[in-house]
Amino acid sequence: MKKRLISMLMGMTLVVASLAGCGSAAETAAPAAEAPAAEAPKAEEKPAEAPAAEAPAAEETTNDAPVTLKWALWDKDATVYYQPLIDGYTAAHPNVTIEMVDLGSTDYSTVLGTQLSGSDSDFDVVTIKDVPGLVTLANKGVLEPLDSLIAQDGIDLAAYSGITDQVKVKDALYELPFRRDIWVLFYNKDVFDKAGVDYPTNDMTWEQYDELARKITDTTPGAEVYGAHYHTWRSTIQLMGILDGKHSIVDGTYDFTKPYYEMVLNQQKDGVCMDYATLKTQGLHYSAAFYQGNVGMLNMGSWFIPTLISKIKDGEAAAASNWGIVKYPHADGVEPGSTLATITALAIPTSAPNKDVAWDFVKFVSGAEGAEIMAGTGNTPAMSSEAINSKIAEMDGFPTDANSKDALNASHAYLEMPANEKSSEIETVLNEQHDNIMNEVSSVDDAIAAMNEGVKAILGQ
Amino acid sequence: MNTQGAKKRKMRQALVAYSFIAPNFIGFAVFTLGPIILAFIMAFAEWDGNNPMKFVGLKNFADLFANDRFTAALKNTIVYSIFTVPFTLIVALGLAILLNQKIRARTFFRTVAFFPYVASLVAVAAVWNMLFTPAKGGLMNQLLMNVFQTAPLKWAAAPNTVMLTIVLFSIWKNMGYYMVIYLAGLQGISEDLYEAASLDGAGALQKFWYVTLPQLKPTTFFVTIMLTISCFKIYDIVYMLAGGSNGVVNKSAIVLVYYIYEEAFRNWKLGSASAAALVLFAIVLAVTLIQFRGEKNYAND
Repeated sequence: MKKRLISMLMGMTLVVASLAGCGSAAETAAPAAEAPAAEAPKAEEKPAEAPAAEAPAAEETTNDAPVTLKWALWDKDATVYYQPLIDGYTAAHPNVTIEMVDLGSTDYSTVLGTQLSGSDSDFDVVTIKDVPGLVTLANKGVLEPLDSLIAQDGIDLAAYSGITDQVKVKDALYELPFRRDIWVLFYNKDVFDKAGVDYPTNDMTWEQYDELARKITDTTPGAEVYGAHYHTWRSTIQLMGILDGKHSIVDGTYDFTKPYYEMVLNQQKDGVCMDYATLKTQGLHYSAAFYQGNVGMLNMGSWFIPTLISKIKDGEAAAASNWGIVKYPHADGVEPGSTLATITALAIPTSAPNKDVAWDFVKFVSGAEGAEIMAGTGNTPAMSSEAINSKIAEMDGFPTDANSKDALNASHAYLEMPANEKSSEIETVLNEQHDNIMNEVSSVDDAIAAMNEGVKAILGQ
Repeated sequence: MNTQGAKKRKMRQALVAYSFIAPNFIGFAVFTLGPIILAFIMAFAEWDGNNPMKFVGLKNFADLFANDRFTAALKNTIVYSIFTVPFTLIVALGLAILLNQKIRARTFFRTVAFFPYVASLVAVAAVWNMLFTPAKGGLMNQLLMNVFQTAPLKWAAAPNTVMLTIVLFSIWKNMGYYMVIYLAGLQGISEDLYEAASLDGAGALQKFWYVTLPQLKPTTFFVTIMLTISCFKIYDIVYMLAGGSNGVVNKSAIVLVYYIYEEAFRNWKLGSASAAALVLFAIVLAVTLIQFRGEKNYAND
C-alpha cells in the first residue's frame, strides 16, 4: 500500500513538472499579466500629449543634466558601426551616455517583444530588425508613433526613397530606418575566366542569367562548379517575382512566383545549383559556399560586402578574392536596377524614460550625419544617394570595376516583407510551401495553390 | 488553560513546519503554480501580451482543431511517442542487461552508451545530419545503396522519413540515460532469486522471463512514465533536425511544443498557445492516469 502511495505521489509530481515545462509559453507572459491593467491608462494618454508637451523640454534636457540612453541591439561586438555612431553623437552631446544592450541575434525580435511587453522596460531606443517584428510591436502598442515628431522637426522622408511608406502600420510610422541593404548578384570572376565566359552585367534579364549560370556550370564529380547558389531562405527565390512592381508578397495570390521556382528547380535538377535538401540539413552557410570558390553567382544582400572583404583579408575566402557585384537581374520589360531591400530601423518604446533625447539620437543616426558614418564603415545607410554609394565603393577591398561601383545604385527597392498585420502568420505559410517546393515534395502548382489558400484564409480572418 | 497551552504549542509547531516548506513553496507558487493558473485563464481569452485581455470562451479550442498546423502537430507528437517509448525502453533494457554482465571493458562500453545523453544536442544533431544527409554521398545513403541495394532516402528533408529520422535520433540520444536507470534496477535484484531459480533448473531465458522482468516492474513503470512525458515535451530535437539552416519546421515534422512556441512568441497569440498547452496537459494527464490504472498489475508488493 505504502509503495503505491509513494509512486502515486511521484507520478503526480512528474505531471506537474511536465506542465511547468510545457507551459513555458505562459510562464514568460505571467509577470506581464498585471502590468497592462496598471499601465493602460498611462499608455493611452501618452501619444496624444507627448509631442506637444515634450518638444520644448527637449532642448533643456539635451543641454543640461547627464542622461543615459539604453539602446537595444544585437551582435554588439561583431557590428562595426554601433560605436562610431555613438561616438559621433556623444561628441556633439557630451552629457549623453549611450549604453548598448545586446539581446542576441537569433531570436532578437522575440526577446525584444517579451522585454517590452511588461511596460517596465527601461529601453530608450530599440533597433527593429525586420518588418514582422515592427508590426508585432506596433500592434501591441508598445512603440511611440513618430509622425508628429517628424512633422514638427520637418524631416523630409523623401530621402529614404519611398521605403518609409512601406513600413506604415495603420497609417502611422513607428520607426526611422538607418540602414538599408539591397540585394545584388555577387560573382566570382575566376570562375568566369576559367570557363571563358563574359562577366554578368548590370542589365540582365532572368533568362540571360539562367543561361549564364548554365554556361559556367561543371558537373564533373569531385570538381563541380555551380553556376548559381541559392541560400535556403524563401526570399532568395520567391521574391524574384515581386521585382516587376506588379505584385506584393502579401497579396494573397502567388502564381507570379511560378516561373522563378521552375527556373531554380530545373537548375537544381541539372546540378547548376546545390541541392536544397542537403543545404538545409547540413546548414551550409551561403558565405561558406561562396568562399569555396566553386560558386559562380550568388544572389545576396549587400550586408555580405563588408564580411566578404574582411574574410578575403583574413585569407579564409582566398578562393573568392577576385569578385564583383552587379545589379539584380530583372524581368523582361522592367527597368534594370529593381531590387529587394531590407531595412534596419530605430524606434522609441512608449515606456522610454528619456523620450526627447532618444528622439534626438534617432534623428541623428537615421539622418545625414549617421548616413556618413554608416558609409564610412562599409555599410549602406537608409538615406542613400550616389555620393554615399560612391563612398562605399571607394572602400579598401571593394571591386574596382565600374559595374560593381554602379551596382549599388538601385532604381527601385521593394521591401522583402512590407508591413502587414498578419505578416508573421503569412510567413509561416509561405515558408512551408517554399520548403515543399524546394524539397520536391509537392509540385509548384500544388504548393502555389496551398499558398493562395493559406494566405487568403489568414487575410480573411 | 491546559487546552489553550496545547493549542498554542500545536500552532507553533505548525508555523515551524510551514516555515520549512515556505522557501520551496514560494518558488513553486511564483514560477510554476502562478503560470499554470494563468495558462488556464489565458486559454479562454485572446491576448497579445500587452493590449487588454479579451475573453472569448471556447473559441480558442474550436480554432485549434480547425487549424491544420495544430492537428499536424498533435498527430506527429502522438506518432513520435508511440514509436519512441517502446523502442527506447527495449534498447535501454537490452543495453543494461548486456552491460550488467561481467564482460571486458564494461565501464568503457557503459560510458559509450551514456555519451550521447550528455553530449551537446547541437553538436550531435549536426553530426547526425551529416551521416543522414539527403545527398547520395552521405554515409547512411551509401550504406542503403551499396549494402542493402535500395534507393537513397532524403531523411529529414522528406515528409515520409522525417519522423523516422527524429525517432531514431531520439532513441540513440536517450537510451544511455534509461540504461543507467535499468542498471540500477538490475543491481537491486537479489542474487538469491537467481540462485533459487538455478536450483529449480531454470535456463537463462527463463531466469530473464520469470525473475528479471517481474523484479524490474517498478523500474519499467517509472521509465515508461518518464519517457512518455518527455516524448510529449519534445521540441529541441525537432528544431535541430528538421529546422535546418532556415529554421522552417514543416507540417510533416511540427510537434505540439513547437506549435505552442510559434503561436506564443512568433504570432503573439498567447490565448491559443495556452489552449494548445492545455490540450498537451490533458493528454499527458490522461496517459499518466491510464498508466496508474495499469500500475496495479505492475507493482509487486
